This record gives sequence, C-alpha cells and structure tokens, in this order.
Amino acid sequence: MKNIAFGQYYPARSPLHRLDPRVKIILTILYIVCSFLCKNVWSFALLAISSIMLIILGRVPFKIILGGLRPVLIVLIFTSIINVFWTKGEILLLEWRFIHIYLEGIFSAIFIIVRISSLIIGTGMLLTYTTTPIALTDALEDVLSPLKKVKVPVHDFAMMMTIALRFIPTLVEETDKIMTAQKARGADFSNGNIIDRVKALIPIIIPLFVSAFSRAGDLATAMECRCYQGGEGRTRLHVRHMRFKDFIPLVLIVVFGTGLVLLNIFAPGFTMS
Amino acid sequence: MSRIELIDIEYYHGKDTPYEIHALKNINIAIPEGQITGIIGHTGSGKSTLVQLFNGILKSHSGKVMIDSEDIWQKPKQIKRFRYKVGLVMQYPEYQLFEDTVYKDIAYGPKNMGLSEEEIDNRVREAAAFAGLDAELLERSPFDLSGGQKRRAAIAGIIAMRPDVLVLDEPAAGLDPRGRDSIFNNIREYQKTLNTTVIIVSHSMEDMARLCDSLIVMHDGEIAMTGSCDEVFSKADELVKMGLDIPQITKVMQLLSEKGIDVPKGIYTVEQAVEFLKSLRKSKKEALQ
Ligand SMILES: Nc1ncnc2c1ncn2[C@@H]1O[C@H](COP(=O)(O)OP(=O)(O)O)[C@@H](O)[C@H]1O
Ligand SMILES: [Mg+2]
Repeated sequence: MKNIAFGQYYPARSPLHRLDPRVKIILTILYIVCSFLCKNVWSFALLAISSIMLIILGRVPFKIILGGLRPVLIVLIFTSIINVFWTKGEILLLEWRFIHIYLEGIFSAIFIIVRISSLIIGTGMLLTYTTTPIALTDALEDVLSPLKKVKVPVHDFAMMMTIALRFIPTLVEETDKIMTAQKARGADFSNGNIIDRVKALIPIIIPLFVSAFSRAGDLATAMECRCYQGGEGRTRLHVRHMRFKDFIPLVLIVVFGTGLVLLNIFAPGFTMS
Repeated sequence: MSRIELIDIEYYHGKDTPYEIHALKNINIAIPEGQITGIIGHTGSGKSTLVQLFNGILKSHSGKVMIDSEDIWQKPKQIKRFRYKVGLVMQYPEYQLFEDTVYKDIAYGPKNMGLSEEEIDNRVREAAAFAGLDAELLERSPFDLSGGQKRRAAIAGIIAMRPDVLVLDEPAAGLDPRGRDSIFNNIREYQKTLNTTVIIVSHSMEDMARLCDSLIVMHDGEIAMTGSCDEVFSKADELVKMGLDIPQITKVMQLLSEKGIDVPKGIYTVEQAVEFLKSLRKSKKEALQ
C-alpha cells in the first residue's frame, strides 16, 4: 500500500526531472495553451509528436503513461463516438439507414483524442511524473509570490500543502499497519453487506484519527519550539537559482507555439470544425 | 499446538513498481512445536515481513506456507481460520486499540470468532491475566493507559483468541528495561502454562538468549543461521559481520576462556555468569585449603 504511487512521481534521471520546477509550471501552462492553438491535421500531428518526445525525454515507461490515461478512456471513447456519428461534412464515407459517417467526423474524433491525451501526457510529463509533490509546492509558492502584494497568504497555503503532502505517505502507511493489526484479529473488510463493511471500518478510523491528531499536536509543538511564525522573513534551505539553460525550454515552447500557429495558417489540410 | 513450515518462499514489497524490494529470498524453515523460537536480525532484514506470512496477512509470491501440513492458501476464502490459529502481535501494537474500554478491545478478536458472551468473558479475563494486566484496568479507556499497559492490552487482544501459535513482533520495543523484563516474564509464563508454540522477533541478543529455546537468524532477507542458542552464539564472528552481536556477558566469558580459565559454553545471562563465577571461587578456595 505504501507504493500506491502518490502524486504519481516516477523516480528517474532525465532532463525533465532536473529542470527547475518553476520553469516546469510555466511550461505546463504554455503547453496547455498550445494544445488549444491546434486547428488542422498538421498542427495536431506536431502536437502528438511533441507529446511523444516529452515521454522519451522524461524516461517514463509507456506502460505507466498508458495507466495514467486509463481513467479518461471512457471519456475519450465516448467523445470520439459522438464526433464520428454526429459531425456533418462534405465527404461521405458510409451511409446506412440513419447513420452517416463523414471523413470530417473521423478527423475530429482523432483531433479530440490527440488533444486530450496530449493535455494529460503534457501535464504528467512536465509536472506530476517528474516533480516530487514537495518540490512542486515550493515552486508554486515562488510562482504565486507576486500575489503576496495583494495580501493573499501564499506562504501559509504552501506550508499547509507541504505538511499535508508530507503526511500522506505516513497516514497511508499507518492505515496499512492498523488494517493489518485488525485483520490479525479476524477483521473482514471485503465480505458482508454494506452495514457490516461500514462497521468493519470503525476499528480502523478511530485509531487513525487518534494518531493523526496526536501527530498534528506534536508537529505544532515542534514548529513552535523552532519559533515558526509564518512566512515573514523566512528563508529556504535549498534556494534554486535560474540558470541560463533553464530558459532554453521557455524559448523552445514559444517556438513550438509559433510553429503551431504557422501550420494552422499556411499548411492546408483538414481543419477542425 | 501447530506446526509451521515455510517452503521456498520468495516475497517482494511493491512488486512490479520502481520501488520493488526483494524482502524474502529462498526461505525454508520449520518452526519447532511447543517451544519459544526467536527470530533475530538487524532492522530491515525482513523479520516483520516473514512473520506476516505465518497467518496469511501477506501472501508470498512463490513458495508455500504450511500449517499442520496444510497449505494455508489452498482455499483463500478460509484464510481467517489461520488468522485465529496463528495469533500475530504486530510491532508497536498499541495503535490497534480502538474501543472505549480495554475489556471491549480485548473482546474484539473473540467476538469476530463468533463465540458466546460467556466464553468471551472467560477469555478476556484469562488473557488479561496472562498479559499481566490488572483486572481493574479492564473498564478503563485504552487511551488512558500508559505505554506499557497499552502494549499489554494489545497482547491480551491476541491471546484472547487462544491461538495455537503466538507470534510477537518486537514485543518489548520502546519499553524501559523493567517493562521489558516483565513482559518477557509474562510471555515465558504463558508459554509454560499452555505449552503453546511461541515465536518472538527481536534484534536484542540479550533478550533472545534469556528467552528462547532455538533461534533463526535473518540477514538481508535470507535465513543466515538456525539452531539452538549454543549453536548460534558459537559463531560470534559471523554474527558480528551481519551487524548483530552476542550477549555482552558471553563476550566476557570468551575473554576469560582466552586467558586460560576453563569456562563452560552456553553462558548468555548475567545470572548464569554469577553462578559460574561463584562455583569457580568455591573450587579455588577448596583447592587452597
Ligand atoms: N509495506 C512495505 N512496503 C515496502 N517496503 C517494505 C514494507 N515493509 C517493509 N519493507 C521493506 O522490506 C524490508 C524488510 O523489512 P521488515 O520486514 O520490516 O524488516 P525488519 O522487521 O527486520 O526490520 C526493508 O527493506 C523494508 O524497507
Ligand atoms: Mg520489524
């Protein structure tokens, strides 16, 4: 249970893993924008290629990426069916009673699939698979720090996120331990009717809450002992400095976006309706 | 009494993930009946993983766990039978307490077994006595007990199921020396009275030497040695290589024997050593007279 990949982080050594998380956040936003810039066959093809390149660059196995796509599989299938059957166009491929399938329909189904999968692969490869949740929160605090000027408690939210993230594996492990201990006393979580199953959870939830509250109390005391008093004047142990090579991906994504727009305008081909 | 046998066991934590750990490798052991068997090994050597196979909390990726010559995973639906047969007290078991009184908490296991109220009452009181828990504590909330008392309550919760085999994973971890000694005395007493099979996991040689009839030494997920205390402690060099140690007093005795004093083998406790030194002094005096 400990290995339920929390936050899906996949440990590996790759350029994407090494990239500054702040850059990755900005890249992700721009990549999402880019995926909505695509209009025709050529720009969608480029988008698909870029996703595949991201996967290769991040050294994450295809099996894991496919696993990540599984939750949206139903949505993908459903929207593509709707697109295939309901899009009206000019080139009729098949006609049978009330069913008309046009080439345009097939293409728009493919477009939708490419767009949704690139969105998921892009955010996954740029953020969740290659950045630890803790690094992500730190980076988020930096990226959002301009909001401090308008009195948004960015630091406090980041601290809450960090603590929550820090304790998720601990709580998962603890749940696992408690479940094991109760199983050893004959608890049964998988059989019986709904009421039995809910009742079977009590011996897990109570100890879990007891320990979570005592942990929270301990942590608060420990933080106070070290004079924690919020973000004011607080510095970091690990300060990240932007280096020249951290700017290269930002240039690349602007080139990529421009390329998509140019393809939309100058390359003829099927256009999304 | 029940016999536990492990045949060709392999176990992986987080199989098929980037975090895969080969926790148990080629385990073949048989646990002697009606004795106290100790499982020793340094932290992370796979002791806790091993004992969780005994009652089917974990299922090995290959190999078989046999209890009384019956493969426990033959009928996965009936695994609960073996959970009652082999009572497992987990490491730091106090977190399993959840009821509003200690009595009800100890009764949780027997209740799951579907016993009658009367039978449950008998067992709870008997188990509390074995675990060294005062009867007046039974009506208290488990969360108001001291650390040592919580530990006893958790142990009583398993004993109350009257398992054929009692397995305790580091029962004394985190207790002060007095609490530790008294819990071990209770366990010894329990084993003598009921003549059950008891398995104790620990990394303290001193405790194991005092308590166990035979030992299983684990190292990096493998069985490094098995045998009686004598057999195991005679291989001090190997133990040290595995990050373990022989009892301090045994070391002293070894030094004495290197100095040419005729020291008998198998002295693991200070009491034994005192006994031996006294007899030594006596024989010296007699020789002088
Ligand atoms: N639930 C788990 N998930 C992943 N790895 C685990 C888990 N439990 C134990 N391990 C790993 O398996 C190995 C053996 O651990 P364990 O059986 O707890 O050893 P011991 O009880 O001897 O200290 C260790 O390397 C440990 O990190
Ligand atoms: Mg352990």
